Amino acid sequence: MSRIGVFICHCGENISRTVDVERVALEVGKLPGVSFSTDYKYMCSDPGQNLLKKAIQDQKLTHVVVAACSPRMHEVTFRKATEAAGLNPFLCEMANIREHCSWVHENREEATIKAIDIVGMMVERVKKNRVLPTITVPVTKRSLVIGGGIAGIQAALDIADCGHEVILVEREPSLGGHMAQLSETFPTLDCSQCIMTPKMVDVANHPKIKLYTYSEIELVEGYIGNFQVTIKKRARSVDEDKCTGCGVCMTKCPQKKIPNKFDQNIGMRTAIYVPFPQAVPNTPVIDRENCTWYKTGKCGVCQKVCGPGAVDFEQEDQLIVEAVGAIVVATGFDLYTIDEKPKGSPIKGYGEFGHGKIPDVIDGMTFERLASASGPTGGKILRPSDGKEPKQIVFIQCIGSRAREKGISYCSKVCCMYTAKHTMLYHHKVHDGQAYVFFMDARTPGKSYDEFWRRSIEEEEAVYIRGMVSRLYQKGDKIVVMGSDIAVGVQVEIEADMVVLATAIQPQKGADALAQKLGISYDKYNFYSEAHAKLRPVECATAGIYLAGACQGPKDIPETVSQASAAAAKVMTLFSKDKLEREPIVARVKESACVGCFACKKVCAYGAVEVKEIRDRQGNLIKTVAYVNPGVCSGCGTCQATCPSKCVELDGYTDEQIVAMIEAL
Amino acid sequence: MHPEKQTHAFEPKIIAFVCTWCTYAGADLAGTSRMQYPSNVRVLKFPCTGRIDPVFILKAFQQGADGVLVSGCHPGDCHYIAGNFHARRRFAVFRKLLEFIGVDLNRLQFSWVSAAEGGKWVEVVTDLTERVRAMGPMTEFKELAMEEQWSGAINTPELQEAYNSI
Amino acid sequence: MTPIDTSIYAAITDAIQTEAGRILSEGQVTAVVGYAAARRKGSAQPIVISNPDDAQKLIFTAACVNNLAVYLTKAKKEIPKTGKIGIVVKGCDLKALSGLMGESQLKREDLYLIGVPCAGVLGSTVQPATELTTGTIAAKCTECDAHLPTGCDFVPNQTPITPELEQKYAVEIARLEALTPAERWAYWQEQFSKCIKCYACRQVCPFCFCEQCLCDRNKPQMVETTPRPAGNTAWHIVRAMHLAGRCAGCAECERVCPMDIPLNLLNRKMAKELKELYDHEASFEVLDKGPLTMFTDKDDQSFIK
Repeated sequence: MSRIGVFICHCGENISRTVDVERVALEVGKLPGVSFSTDYKYMCSDPGQNLLKKAIQDQKLTHVVVAACSPRMHEVTFRKATEAAGLNPFLCEMANIREHCSWVHENREEATIKAIDIVGMMVERVKKNRVLPTITVPVTKRSLVIGGGIAGIQAALDIADCGHEVILVEREPSLGGHMAQLSETFPTLDCSQCIMTPKMVDVANHPKIKLYTYSEIELVEGYIGNFQVTIKKRARSVDEDKCTGCGVCMTKCPQKKIPNKFDQNIGMRTAIYVPFPQAVPNTPVIDRENCTWYKTGKCGVCQKVCGPGAVDFEQEDQLIVEAVGAIVVATGFDLYTIDEKPKGSPIKGYGEFGHGKIPDVIDGMTFERLASASGPTGGKILRPSDGKEPKQIVFIQCIGSRAREKGISYCSKVCCMYTAKHTMLYHHKVHDGQAYVFFMDARTPGKSYDEFWRRSIEEEEAVYIRGMVSRLYQKGDKIVVMGSDIAVGVQVEIEADMVVLATAIQPQKGADALAQKLGISYDKYNFYSEAHAKLRPVECATAGIYLAGACQGPKDIPETVSQASAAAAKVMTLFSKDKLEREPIVARVKESACVGCFACKKVCAYGAVEVKEIRDRQGNLIKTVAYVNPGVCSGCGTCQATCPSKCVELDGYTDEQIVAMIEAL
Repeated sequence: MHPEKQTHAFEPKIIAFVCTWCTYAGADLAGTSRMQYPSNVRVLKFPCTGRIDPVFILKAFQQGADGVLVSGCHPGDCHYIAGNFHARRRFAVFRKLLEFIGVDLNRLQFSWVSAAEGGKWVEVVTDLTERVRAMGPMTEFKELAMEEQWSGAINTPELQEAYNSI
Repeated sequence: MTPIDTSIYAAITDAIQTEAGRILSEGQVTAVVGYAAARRKGSAQPIVISNPDDAQKLIFTAACVNNLAVYLTKAKKEIPKTGKIGIVVKGCDLKALSGLMGESQLKREDLYLIGVPCAGVLGSTVQPATELTTGTIAAKCTECDAHLPTGCDFVPNQTPITPELEQKYAVEIARLEALTPAERWAYWQEQFSKCIKCYACRQVCPFCFCEQCLCDRNKPQMVETTPRPAGNTAWHIVRAMHLAGRCAGCAECERVCPMDIPLNLLNRKMAKELKELYDHEASFEVLDKGPLTMFTDKDDQSFIK
């Protein structure tokens, strides 16, 4: 006979304002099997939890129902309390009478009746709950980091410094990501390359880090502690073991006019190339689309001049499988396409600002390359069209960001600060030049950020105009920028030599495809979703996968580095134990009833269902049945709904529990 | 403080089978956003729509539900990779069967409601509740349950004769 | 009522006898499942032979209605598993065997298939000695697209002459679809009210191979087991759902139903929907996955809000 305890929470007034909690406790107390029923102001508080624990012991309760907020909020809390009182945690259920009742209904009578129903349903369910022992699985203490920008580098170094092996995968030929492209960084104006490249070298030299550049994730299988990752290592056409990085191949390559993506396509590179001189690894890649050898079968100059014989035209893509226990996703960002409407995207472009048509309208990252000492102009601010120094420059903020009519409602967070930085860099390099900034609001929260922004106005003479630009057009060799100054209430027209658009930060292209491979969720912009916005900001809902950097949302460098270290800390927490305890919500096969049709195996997305042969003592095959590997099973229950005889059952969501709930209605 | 309560002659019983990751979370969001919707719905949480057996829908109707809602993650968003895709096929077929048996499909609603769509949850639940309220009670399965007849209908003269002779 | 040509059945009988005799005497198979004459005039019944001399007992006529596949499934365990089994199959029966292979219930290498070119068999309510005509032919045969089995180990070299017939199920499905939900409900309630829950439909179905039927379970009771209207309706809904995408269309359920419930009508309706939704049809092909154990990301979801 069950002795069920029911605890109705007031949640301050959040529940009791609309639901008559005393009446719920009274009504539910009459249900068969309920031997204790009470209400309390804050069940989740210490006294509330103690009330629960004490009742379990004093009343010799066999099952517990806590009627309070969503189980997504506090199920863990109350199951822990139940366990502390000596009951199996899975004998505790929550009835959601806050999010699903008191907060969504105003009528007290209706809400109270609904609350009684909800609690009654959970009482019937909990009667059918079984004791579920915790499942332990082994942990592979190696980690995969996806993305070799500052986030990936930081996470990889932290984990590796702790003594655990790291597999670092980068899609581009070199580590570095976007941070390597930047000239100086706010708010200290230290040179990005100077602080970035030593970290890149640390990664390359770290004995615990295995680096795969020019590589992508092909397939991810397995689960927390036990992932199998297939990495596609694209053919570099250069043998990394033989190449000394002397660079002769690049100087001799006849294809010299290929726009370099690293330089935002304003600088040129050869067909055999490293994206930038400090690249790690310093091994060139042949861009097969532009290489004469691959296009015509002739040339081969690089191969002839290569002393160590490292150039290998026959090299093929390789698939490498690595076993890891945790994954850090640090795939970073991309800039919003402003010249046209991106295909298949709800986002509208910024064609009206002439980007793509007027050569001297550039984006912020292109300005970074112009300002960079190692950039295509050697750090001189020169117009892409005619190489002249712009004397009047206009910066326009919030291009894409905070523009709901363009499809993006979020703030890209870093543009206010980097535009202020741009005005300073400009002023340092073009002493007689004038910078104007069109802005909506200046958002400068962060240590020394507002001081930095003010400096751009007060010391570096940038003119800030609050208002947006309505139109800009080419007039001779000038760009006329028409906008409004809403602070003064006048129309403004500036004849600029160059315009820099602070374009929105977006997730990397293909972020959604990678998320699907990893089985993690993402929002409508394709930013990856954390498990909890505040309390689990670096973990994915999928156990064993962690987030770092701008792939989760726009971030500046210090924030990215913090999150990367946090993700590394989470990985190390996981690796601190040899075995991992996991929730026992897994499917089990009732072998006596299974006829081995394997419908369950066909629908299992995790490959958790295996074929098991049952033999007698002589070794004769009696029958073949399905077996669910509890380490691999993720607990979705698709197998059970598919099994015609229901001989595979999902613990925690058995037919008995569900039917009991339906019948309670 | 309380708005004028509208009274209806018939308050339908609505049962919702939802997945925990998307729709349950979407309903939570409706709560945290303090949106309002009819109180007729009773929610049953599943790990995934893939777990939802068509028999549960049948059972719900037999237990007196006037309308049933099945809701989960949008395609591609399934926490379990593909559970909702399997559910989509299963329910596409099951609803055709129910329709053929004579169940009015206006009583059975399927939806994708993501964890971010508190508003859509409210809309789906409100629409279904109002539609079913207008349709009146679902009597079919309830009447069956009330019927006392325990065997084949004695609806031919031969059967009647055989019955009488017992 | 036009007669349907069954003159090839005599030659088929001869060929089956010869082949069964040969494979038994050569030891290729340990037993052959086929049809033999039964006591009533013109009737036929299943037979399992293991002696080559008994091969002469095998026949094929328009009265050979049974789907013999059911004798091979695990749950029924009619035939001791002692090596390769020969089996006589019509096209519809072969579809069932293919389905069973796809569901790991049978292995092709354990079977020796004797396919039958079939012009049709008699309807379930017709006396076995009756001539096969457009009026006496089984309803399933009016929609048959599998007169000539393929992929068998042996098929007599005969070609059945198969006239175009009015598709009885298609017509009836269309009639019911045109009714209102309430009218359809009334129709099916009349049908289901006849059900006495004898489970003959389950017993004869090659795909009802579960060791424990969901509908027999009592913890929890998913489907009411009593032969009351509520339980009857639930049983027939669950049965049709569990067979959706698996049913091979042999119509044995309908044939054996003592209360003449048009059970195959439900199965055909499901088959029609699966064809329209996912282009799936029962066939001789052994599929890795059935239509309800697979999906594509482009599947119809017009019914989902």
